[in-house]
This record gives sequence, C-alpha cells and structure tokens, in this order.
Amino acid sequence: MALDLSMPVLVVDDYNTMIRIIRNLLKQIGFQDIDDASDGSAALGKMREKRYGLVISDWNMEPMTGYELLKEVRADPGLSKTPFIMVTAESKTENVIAAKKAGVNNYIVKPFNAQTLQSKIQAVFGE
Amino acid sequence: MARVKTQQLESLIECLNQKRHEDVSFADVVSLAEITAQSMQVFFETMDTAIYREMREIAEYIERMRGEIGALQADEIKKNRIPMAGQELGAIVKATEGATNTIMECAEELMAADASDVKAYQALVQDKMVVIFEACSFQDITGQRIAKVIETLQNIETRVSRFARALGNSSGAAGAAFATEQERARAERQQRLMLHGPQLDGQAIDQNAVDDLFGGSKPARPECSTQSSIDKLFK
Repeated sequence: MALDLSMPVLVVDDYNTMIRIIRNLLKQIGFQDIDDASDGSAALGKMREKRYGLVISDWNMEPMTGYELLKEVRADPGLSKTPFIMVTAESKTENVIAAKKAGVNNYIVKPFNAQTLQSKIQAVFGE
Repeated sequence: MARVKTQQLESLIECLNQKRHEDVSFADVVSLAEITAQSMQVFFETMDTAIYREMREIAEYIERMRGEIGALQADEIKKNRIPMAGQELGAIVKATEGATNTIMECAEELMAADASDVKAYQALVQDKMVVIFEACSFQDITGQRIAKVIETLQNIETRVSRFARALGNSSGAAGAAFATEQERARAERQQRLMLHGPQLDGQAIDQNAVDDLFGGSKPARPECSTQSSIDKLFK
C-alpha cells in the first residue's frame, strides 16, 4: 500500500493537546483530511462510518483503550487491513510485544518528534 | 507456701479417705475447708496479678494508640492536605494546558503566516516568540506547586507509616488489600490492559537490549522500551 497524502487519517487520543500536536504534524507532512476521536469506542464508531487510510492511536484511554481498539479493528473483516500506529507513553516491552501480536503496524513512544512520526508513517507504507 | 498448703491438703484428704467408713468429725471438715480456702487464696492472688498486668498492658496500648491516632491527624489530612493537593494538581493541569495552547496558537499563526513580506513576517515572529517565552513561565509556578504536593504526600506517608508501625503491621498482606470495589476494579483493569503509564528516565531499556530480547540473547533490563528499541521490532 502506497502512502497517499489525500487519504483520511484518524487520530485517537483523550488529550486535546495531543490531538492538536499530531494534527499539526500530520498537516506538516502533507495530510489534509484528519479526524479525531477521544477513545477507542468513539474511534470504532467513526471507522465504521468512514474508511480511514491510517489510524494513529494512544493506548491509555477510557472507556476503550487503544489496545482494545486495535484488537477490535483487527477482528473486524471490514477494518482489519487499516494501518494502525500506536502513539503512547506505555513504554514497557510487554506493551510493545502485546501490540505487535495484536497486529499494530508501528509503535511510537511519547514524547516524540515530527521526524519520528513521519518516519514511522513512511515505514508503515513501505517507503 | 503454696506447696505447704497443698501438702497439708493432701494429708488431710488421705486421712479422710482412711476414715471413709467412720464418722468424720466436725473439726476435720472445718480444717479441710480452712486449708482449701487458704490454697484458693494463693491461686486467686496469682490470678489477680496476671489479670491486672494484662489490663494494664491493654490500657497502655489503648493510650499509645490514642496518641498515634492523634498524631495521624486523619481529619486534618482529609479536610486540608488532600483537598489542597488536589487543588494544586488541578492548577498545574490548567496552567500547563493554558501554556501549551498559547504556544501552539503562536506556532499555528506562524505556520499560517504569509512570509512574502519579510519585515511584517519578522515582526510577527518576534511578537510570537515573546508570547512563547511568557507562556513558558508556567514551569516555575508549576514546579513550586508540585513541590507542595510532594511535601503533602511525604507528610501523609510519614504519618501513615508511623501509625502502621505502631499497630505492628509492617506491610505484607495489607499491601494487596483494596479500600473499595472501585479501587479493585481499577487495579484489575490496569493489569488486564497493561496500563503502566509513563516510565521514569533510566528505567527504559535501550535499543540493544530489545534487539537481544528478540534475538534470543539475554536482555540487559527487559522492563520498558525506548523508541529506538521498538523500531527493531518492526524491521
């Protein structure tokens, strides 16, 4: 799958500030169609209404965490192929391994910079 | 003394046993009663002393506990210190959020600005830089607020630890107990969903350690991952 800057991106985080930061970084990269959701269940609802080319999600949210969202997405035949990047402060190895087993495409530890985000997005799309 | 009485009692009983089929004199019965009463007196005296000692120890323990409960100042912690710490933390969240928004607004304005008019753009950049510097002053105040919260936590920790020591309860089983069902549910959710939160500096393992973890050799500190160590997992 090639990186298409016109594809819709969904940012999932319970902190508006983080959503704003990621949104601005994505705009800098060249993405224009950026939506957001405040937790996994809200994101799942949006994903079932609109086809996203990329999901960037936090881990620790309530009521549905990013990890639960990832498992739901991978279990749903209509959504299972959606590229999914976890952006989180959860930096324990067990988290990374669990996310990888659940099918995450890449994993970014907070705090991160624009270059890291861009390189991980490029890596997901094989660039 | 008690042994003498017991010996007297035994010899009297022996004497009475020998006279089993004869009439027992009134004097013998009186003697038996007298010796029995004297023997019991010694027993009751011993018992009184033991009970008195026990009661005194209980009274001292209660007195000590009363002092410890007073020193704990649970009411003061509940009414003043914890609400104050909550207010300080709330103010920290508000200050950091405000500062972040101000800084991001400046950045967004600069990103959206027209740079073709160099002089105007330069003036705008300088104005926004000043605003950013001003916004960064939140760090000083939040640092002081955090210090107050830490002091409160240390104060509570000291009092509770002393109280626990006075109770003779060092830690052990109490560590696994939950005060409420809500607390238990929260802890279980955190464990089930691996919600550890941010790790402190120095607790993360480096790239090589994660490489080792996936390469089969022993990791240096297999606790948490840095970005570079995570990258290796996705290659």
